[in-house]
Amino acid sequence: MRDAFSNALVAAAKADPRVLLLTGDHGYALFDAFRKACPDQYINCGIAEQNMVGVAAGLAKAGYRPVVYGLAAFVPIRVVEQIKIDICYEKLPVILIGDGAGVVYSHLGASHQSFEDIAVLRSIPYLTIYSPADRYELTSSMRRMFEGGSPAYMRMGKADLGDVHTSIPKSEGDILKVTDDGEQTLIFATGAGVSIAMKVREEIGGAAIYSAVRVKPLSADEVFAAANGRSHIIVIEEHSIHGGLASSVSEILVGHYVGAFQRFGIKDRFSETCGDYQHLVREHNFDASSIVEAVRVRNNSY
Amino acid sequence: MADFDPKRIRKTILDMAYSGKTVHIGCAFSIVELLAVLYRKHLRFPENNPRHERRDYMVLSKGHGVMAQYACLAEKGWLSDDALHNYFKNGSALKGLADTHIAGVEVTSGSLGHGLSVGAGLALAAKLSKTDQKCFAIVGDGEINEGPIWEAALFAAHFKLDNLIVIVDANGFQAMGTTEEVMALGNIESKFAAFGFEAVTIDGHDEEIIDKTLRQLSENQNGRPKALIANTVKGKGVSFMEHDNIWHYTRLNHTTYADAIAELGVTA
Repeated sequence: MRDAFSNALVAAAKADPRVLLLTGDHGYALFDAFRKACPDQYINCGIAEQNMVGVAAGLAKAGYRPVVYGLAAFVPIRVVEQIKIDICYEKLPVILIGDGAGVVYSHLGASHQSFEDIAVLRSIPYLTIYSPADRYELTSSMRRMFEGGSPAYMRMGKADLGDVHTSIPKSEGDILKVTDDGEQTLIFATGAGVSIAMKVREEIGGAAIYSAVRVKPLSADEVFAAANGRSHIIVIEEHSIHGGLASSVSEILVGHYVGAFQRFGIKDRFSETCGDYQHLVREHNFDASSIVEAVRVRNNSY
Repeated sequence: MADFDPKRIRKTILDMAYSGKTVHIGCAFSIVELLAVLYRKHLRFPENNPRHERRDYMVLSKGHGVMAQYACLAEKGWLSDDALHNYFKNGSALKGLADTHIAGVEVTSGSLGHGLSVGAGLALAAKLSKTDQKCFAIVGDGEINEGPIWEAALFAAHFKLDNLIVIVDANGFQAMGTTEEVMALGNIESKFAAFGFEAVTIDGHDEEIIDKTLRQLSENQNGRPKALIANTVKGKGVSFMEHDNIWHYTRLNHTTYADAIAELGVTA
C-alpha cells in the first residue's frame, strides 16, 4: 500500500507541477522516490504541523496543489483548527494524509495511536474523507482526491494486510462491493477492517462485505441498497466505535432498517498494553475471533 | 479621492461600530496608519482586482482589527456604504472578525496565530512562481503568544522568504491587560532578529516613517524575512479611548459616538 501511495504521488507530481508534497519531517524512506523524481516539489516543513497546514492553505490560495503528509495522530488531530479555518472555510484543494491511523504504532502507545480522526473530521464542512482498504482502493482514492479539487483527507492504516480487491475499482461509489451472494448478514468495513471482515465471513458461514472507501460524504442510497433485505448488519473499523463508520451507517439506517446491528472497533478507552499490531487488535476485541464469538453470542440469544 | 486619510478611516470605523453596536474599536484604531500607508503606497492590485492572481497579499492575522481593513476596502471601492452600514446586522456579509469570503481579506482570523503561516505559504508560492508579489502580515503583540507564530517565523527564515513582511501591532495590550502583565514579550525586535528576520522598530502612527521603513524592508531582497515592530497606541485618535483596554469591549452610545466624531473633526 505504501508503494501504491508513493507511485500515485510521484505520478501526480510529474503530471502537474503545481502538486507539492509537504511533510512534517516524517516519511523517512517513504519519500525517497518522490524526492528523486520531483525534488523541487518536496518541502520538509520541520516538526511544526500547525504551520505546515497554514502554509499549505497559503500555497493552495495561490494556485498550488499541496499534499500534506503526517502521522494520523498529528495530521489531522494536532491541526484540526487549521484544517477547519485555513483550509475548509475556503474550500481549498489541499490533500491531507494521515498515515499509521488506528493502532498501527502498537508499541508506541497513546501519543502515536489515532482512532478519533474520522470522528473529528466528519463534522467539518466540505472535507471529503477516504479510508482505503488496500493498494487498489488507495490508488483510486488518490485519483479521486486530485480530481476532486476540494479539501480531502485520506487515512492510511496498516499497510501489509494484503489485497481485498483484484484490481483498481472502477466505481466512483462510497461503498464498494467486495463480495455479495445475497446473504442475510452484511458487513460494512473500512480500511484494515475489510480484511478482518473477510476472515469473519469464512467463520460465520457467509456474509456480504462492502468496503467504505469514502467515509464522508457517505451515500445514503448506497447504504440503503446494500442493507436492503438483510437481517444482520456488522460494522468493522480500526477507529473508535464512536463517530466513525458505525456511527455514519447507523445515522443513515435509523428509521429505515429493522434487524441486528453490531459494531466492532476501538473501544472507548486508550490501549492499555504494549505489543504488536495483532495484540492490540485483540485487546480491543475487533480481531476476527472476538468478532465471530460476539456474533455467535448475539445469534444464540435471539 | 481614495487617499486613505486616517481620520476618515477612523470615522468609518466609528460609524460601523456605532451602527452595528459592536466592540473592538481600540485594536482597529491602532493599525489605521499602518493600513493607510500599505493601501495607499505599497499594496499592488492589478486591474484594481482584490482577487487578482498577481496581487500583493494583505494578511490581517489579528482579525479583531478588521473594521480598519473594511474601511480601507471601502476606500478602494470594493465595499459599498450599504455593506459598511449593515456591519454586524442580521444577514450581513461583514462579520466581526477577518473573513476570507470578503474580497480583499486574505485570511479568516480571530482565532489567533493562523495568519502568519498562511502568509508564509503565500510568500513561498510567489517565490516558487518567481513573481515579485509581496505578503504583508499584521499580527498583534498579544497574538504572538501563540506558538504557530514562531513556527512560521522559523519557516520563513529557513525558506528565505524576503517577500514576507511581518508587521507587529505593538499596542501593548491583550484581552485581559497589558502584554507586560499577561505574558511579557521582552524585546520583540530582537526576538524576530534572533529568528533570522531583518527587524526594525518604529512609531506605528508616523505615516512618513512607516512608508520609508516599509519601502526599505520590502525592497531589500536579501533572503531574510522582514519584521516591522510598530509601536502603537490602542484606541489611537480619540483621546478618551487611548491606552484604555475598555475600548476592546465597550460599545459606543450616543454621547461617546458624538464626542469621538467631534474629536476627529471629520464630517464626511
